[in-house]
Amino acid sequence: MYSKVILALCFVFCTTAHAHEMTPAYPQLKSSYIEGVSSAKMKLFNRRNDVSYYLIEVFTSDFKPIPFASSSISTVSSKIIMVGYNKSKIFDVYIRSSDIDRAVYICTQSKLLKQTDQISLITSRVCSKIKDK
Amino acid sequence: MDIKTITALAFLMPATAAMAVDSPISGVVEPKCSIWTETAGVYGHPLPYKLTTKPADGGVKASIRVDIAQADYYKTKFTHPNSFSSSPTLTDAVSWTGSTVVGAVGVSGMSAYEAAKVTYNNVTEFNMTLAGSTWFTVESEASYGSTKSLPAGNYTALIVAECIAK
Repeated sequence: MYSKVILALCFVFCTTAHAHEMTPAYPQLKSSYIEGVSSAKMKLFNRRNDVSYYLIEVFTSDFKPIPFASSSISTVSSKIIMVGYNKSKIFDVYIRSSDIDRAVYICTQSKLLKQTDQISLITSRVCSKIKDK
Repeated sequence: MDIKTITALAFLMPATAAMAVDSPISGVVEPKCSIWTETAGVYGHPLPYKLTTKPADGGVKASIRVDIAQADYYKTKFTHPNSFSSSPTLTDAVSWTGSTVVGAVGVSGMSAYEAAKVTYNNVTEFNMTLAGSTWFTVESEASYGSTKSLPAGNYTALIVAECIAK
């Protein structure tokens, strides 16, 4: 009986769809206004109403992290971007010229709040591949 | 100029001022992957030592939809949990099992994703060769110790859904 009640409640409350999108799929690195640093412009669209913060990450081909900076002005961290529900945000990722050869993926990962009542949670991560890699 | 001509001109003037102006709506179609978290999943607690998302045990499997805008630009990866992200203090080991399967497909050819999937550790990879929507179902089960009762409290486990440009 309880199983059926849980299932019925979940059908009503758990089936709201939320999405995470990032474009372009193949960003191009261009020279930035800082010497020896290249940048790529990215756009994140948040259609997850359970998520407001996304972590920006840059990786090698085998997903080893690479140092970078971003244009995020979040108070949490320069690598965390705050995007409201149904809003999009354009941000720049800055990579040193010395790291350009190794940098392959630019990713954003949803960050979930620790104070939540939900038992099972889904983290989404979308990775774009730097052009010509 | 007579009064008829002036009247006709007066009517024509506002008419010419209301000329149509093109107002284009523009859009861009580009390779894009959207991860839709349709059903978050819930653990049922059928036995004192077990948490499971199996519907027969009172759980709900997680359902994640992946929309691919252009064919063959992305692969997807699903990682089912192998630890709790938050739980009461556990003094014994937890053994984890789980799986990710193709649930429903928007294009019939996507059914082949299931046979072509690659599984390692707690990760399942799918090569998204077609454009459209695919629903993936993620199952997870945790067993505590050798049939030890799980302590009371809130348990949280994370599923990671990834879209990676190829």
